[in-house]
Amino acid sequence: MTTLLIVVPLAAALVLWLLPLDRVSAAALALLAALAEVGLWIQLLIRFDWNERGLQFEQRRSWFSDLHVSYHVGVYAFSVWLIGLAVVVMAATIAYAVWVGRERARMYFGLMLFLTGAIVGVFAAQDLLLFYAFFEAMLIPLYVLVGVWGGPARMGATLKFVIYTMAGSLLMLASVIVYGLSQGTFDLVDIGASSSDWVFLGFVAAFAIKAPLFPFHGWLRDAYTESSPEVAAVLSGVVSKAAAYGFLRIAIAKFPGPTEDFRTPILVLAAVGLVYGSLLAFRAPDLRGVIAYSSLAQMGLITLGLFAANDLGFDGSVLQMVNHGLISATLFLLAGMVERRATTGELGRLGGMARGRPLLATVLMTTGIIALAVPFSTAFAGEFLILAGVFQQGWGWAVVGAAAIVLAAMYILRVISAVLHREPGTAVTDAALDLRPAELGIVVPLVACLLALSAWPAAISGHAFSRDEATRSVSQEFR
Amino acid sequence: MTVGAWICLLSPLAGALLITLAGTRISRRTAGYLSTGSVAVAFGGAITSFIGLLGKNGEERDHVSTAWTWLSGGSYRSGFEILVDPLSVMMMLIVSGVGFLIVAYSIGYMDGDKEERRYFAYMALFVFSMLLLVQGGNFLLLLAGWGMVGLSSYLLIGFWHERPSAIAGAKKAFVMNAIGDATMALAFFLIILYTGTLSFDHVFNIVQNGDSGISNSTPINLIALGLLGGAVAKSAQLPLQTWLPDAMEGPTPVSALIHAATMVTAGVYLIVRTHVIFEAAPKVEELAAGLGAGTLLLAGLIALVQTDIKRVIAYSTMSQIGYMFLGVGLGAYANGMFHLMTHAFFKALLFMAAGLVIHALHGEQDIRRMGGLRTLMPRTYLAFLVGGLALVGIFPFSGFFSKDSILAAAMDHGWYGYVLWVAGLAGAFLTGIYTARLFFLVFWGEPSAFVQEHFHKPKRDVVGISLAAPVAALAVLAAIAGWIQFAPLWHPIETWLQTVAEPLVSPAGWQEAVSSVLAVVLGAAGIGVAWLLYGARTRRVPRLAFAQRTLEHKFWFDELYDALFYRPSIRIARGLGRFVENPLIFGSGRELGQETRALGGLLGRAQTGLLRTYALAIASSVAVLALVFVVVR
Repeated sequence: MTTLLIVVPLAAALVLWLLPLDRVSAAALALLAALAEVGLWIQLLIRFDWNERGLQFEQRRSWFSDLHVSYHVGVYAFSVWLIGLAVVVMAATIAYAVWVGRERARMYFGLMLFLTGAIVGVFAAQDLLLFYAFFEAMLIPLYVLVGVWGGPARMGATLKFVIYTMAGSLLMLASVIVYGLSQGTFDLVDIGASSSDWVFLGFVAAFAIKAPLFPFHGWLRDAYTESSPEVAAVLSGVVSKAAAYGFLRIAIAKFPGPTEDFRTPILVLAAVGLVYGSLLAFRAPDLRGVIAYSSLAQMGLITLGLFAANDLGFDGSVLQMVNHGLISATLFLLAGMVERRATTGELGRLGGMARGRPLLATVLMTTGIIALAVPFSTAFAGEFLILAGVFQQGWGWAVVGAAAIVLAAMYILRVISAVLHREPGTAVTDAALDLRPAELGIVVPLVACLLALSAWPAAISGHAFSRDEATRSVSQEFR
Repeated sequence: MTVGAWICLLSPLAGALLITLAGTRISRRTAGYLSTGSVAVAFGGAITSFIGLLGKNGEERDHVSTAWTWLSGGSYRSGFEILVDPLSVMMMLIVSGVGFLIVAYSIGYMDGDKEERRYFAYMALFVFSMLLLVQGGNFLLLLAGWGMVGLSSYLLIGFWHERPSAIAGAKKAFVMNAIGDATMALAFFLIILYTGTLSFDHVFNIVQNGDSGISNSTPINLIALGLLGGAVAKSAQLPLQTWLPDAMEGPTPVSALIHAATMVTAGVYLIVRTHVIFEAAPKVEELAAGLGAGTLLLAGLIALVQTDIKRVIAYSTMSQIGYMFLGVGLGAYANGMFHLMTHAFFKALLFMAAGLVIHALHGEQDIRRMGGLRTLMPRTYLAFLVGGLALVGIFPFSGFFSKDSILAAAMDHGWYGYVLWVAGLAGAFLTGIYTARLFFLVFWGEPSAFVQEHFHKPKRDVVGISLAAPVAALAVLAAIAGWIQFAPLWHPIETWLQTVAEPLVSPAGWQEAVSSVLAVVLGAAGIGVAWLLYGARTRRVPRLAFAQRTLEHKFWFDELYDALFYRPSIRIARGLGRFVENPLIFGSGRELGQETRALGGLLGRAQTGLLRTYALAIASSVAVLALVFVVVR
């Protein structure tokens, strides 16, 4: 089952690259594969036994037996949700790319599907080297997707992205090798806990760059604004969660001592990132800049919850990972739709789009309201749990977090009014139509997921770790 | 009984969803009927619950009904659950009952607006949010309703979204309310830390028993302060009151809904609901009463110089909520809730009567251009008169019964109570002046040139009935509803709420009498002053330039907050961008890129820098690997 989830998109990617399909059939095949992936995940969701402890749908084949490297995949309860996030967002982004009609369709959709398989692999890998391989496999298509199909300044953006992530990858690779060799195995389940500060910091640095966490976010703005909207949606919605996953699955679970020792500095970085990102989002001049910096803030928040290292923090973080993934993907796709109509994302030239465009207004307003974590939304539920959790590590963290939530209200409301309200901006003409049915078909499922989660956030927060004992799961089952 | 309460809660939500999903498939008028109908059903549900509770003994009037576990994390759990007890049922009746009249009035008031459907969906959503707030069976759902009310008010205040002032007012209301949400959330984190739960019963039991250290002075005071922060934000009390006047940018029925049935009364409800916590933190409870007294004076003074008909009424709301805070802060819970009820009637009446005036004058809201409407709109004139007299608290209108018992309660609370009592009496005098000023300026004298030119009579069709009938109903209620409780002769509301919130004060008969007489005399004196200045115009309005300017600037709170919070945060954000983000973080990447590209260029210019960099990185990774092997072995 797990292997199938990884292989289906990879195989579809290969087919796309090898067969000389025309544009339409390539797009159709890609969409079909992405939807099949969602169907497979629903199977996984139904068949997963929530009362069982530990790894499920496990598959293991020895690879290098002398080094104890194996192809070992499986899913924990919380990985089910992250895989779900990945396949749903990938399906929506691929659908968006189909709708927009990207150039060189076979190459493009092949890369997107390859990316899907790699991301699912990251969330399912239970062997360090395998994890590393999938992590790298996830980055390579992204380099190409940003570098070839991005905006005018795409080369600079790609270069920066490559350098940052390569630096992180090298640190991670070094850590993986040192850790695996010193423990005598690379198996993530069997490998024992370590107390090595340097290895821990290597992992943390890699994940902090990928998330990104303040101040490792130099690549963020260009990558999020220069790439095409659907790639930005994948980057901030899904790929950043691979980093958060790494924090939880490797850094925190395998290094209890260093986690304890470095908790305060990491919490400080996360809290600074939260406020810093919120403030910069408030002054960002364009639509995607706001979403990019709010993404930085949200990753800070998720990290706060993870390094609170208690039940509330873990459960809240997993919930918030899914929330933020869906929210930022929806926002980036909507930003793309707005940009296609107005030819710009500059907030100063937008405005008044609510008049005569009720569908766009409703969808953007609903997503925005959930993004600013209005109480009763699923984002509120996630943030509430995270801050309640980190509150137990010290009151100050939660006070900063609560202040950042007020800032979030300010920057989201600013974006909503700048796009929808007041008199129409200079870039908004009558030719800018309301959302088309196809576009609704892309974003409405995402919004529907968010609304469903708002009705029942405990679906994730109460089913992220076996028997609601997050701390015990992390400290025993993951080790 | 709980079924009725669930229907009450969910019916307006269903109405809002139905209107949203139906879109243009239904006519605008149908949307209005749907919205009104869904709130009417909610009122029916509330009545069912009320009757259900009536049939039970006092001790058994407390039901929690859980639908599902809404949020869980670790061992902490909060259900999607409602609480049906005397307090929540009383609020349900007020919210859905007065809400129904206001939504019905909207059918006429909003007739012809292009986006009527959106309006009615929002109205139903607003009623749902407020019902969620008062019915929520635990702290988390209370906060959920709390936030949803803030959201609905944002949507409705900014309903006319092409007006920059409307959008600004809406954003201000939302952000102010978000500050309150945040302080409440912090209080809840403390509660979770000490008790591990957010269920009302458990938390109140633990606080009363003093288990787990929560009742030590620091945590309990902080919790009470956090709750108070939420209460003052939502109820527009000092120091978070500045959003309320700007909230007048919404359509008039929205103002009526915010001021009468929903939203601003939430703070009063919160204090009564969580009175166990406030009683364990008596200093904070007294602070609440003090803030109420401060607000009622401040708002009464500002109302003296306002020139917009809706803003005068808005400030009177702030002032009247101040009375309620004063009451519940001193432990006179039933009196505060009683005033909340009568206020809902006469304030909705005043707003809707003002709406009729505005409607008849083509949207004009400046009272300096009005005058002489008594002869042109005799029924509206009567309705406004009833509302005004109830607001001032003149016998036998409803405000008399509820306001004076709050003042009497203040006399039973030591020297602090007497200070507040004096403030309350001064407020009664101010209420008399500003209410009568508004009344005389709008209705008395000869019709002004503007009125003669712009006045038009509403027609007697569906629109006219929709406008007139709710006003008439509220006029009756505002006139007679006060007789429900006439302390100390009969007090059914106090008895009804006894199991939820036992009052802390019990004023003697003479205190009731003295307060009543003094308040009425002072209110009448205020009316007399206004008569001299604005009615008979035998005296000139005194010119006090500085005082006038201070009042017109609303004591400079907006300017202060602007300078203290808004501008610095903008400046910090700009500074971070200019001095940290661009040069250090953003720029570092750029330079890094250039240098690496240069390095790649050295290795060979055959291909793009991209592939070169990648190759370089792989090469260096191998080098690092080799190094690591050497070190580890």
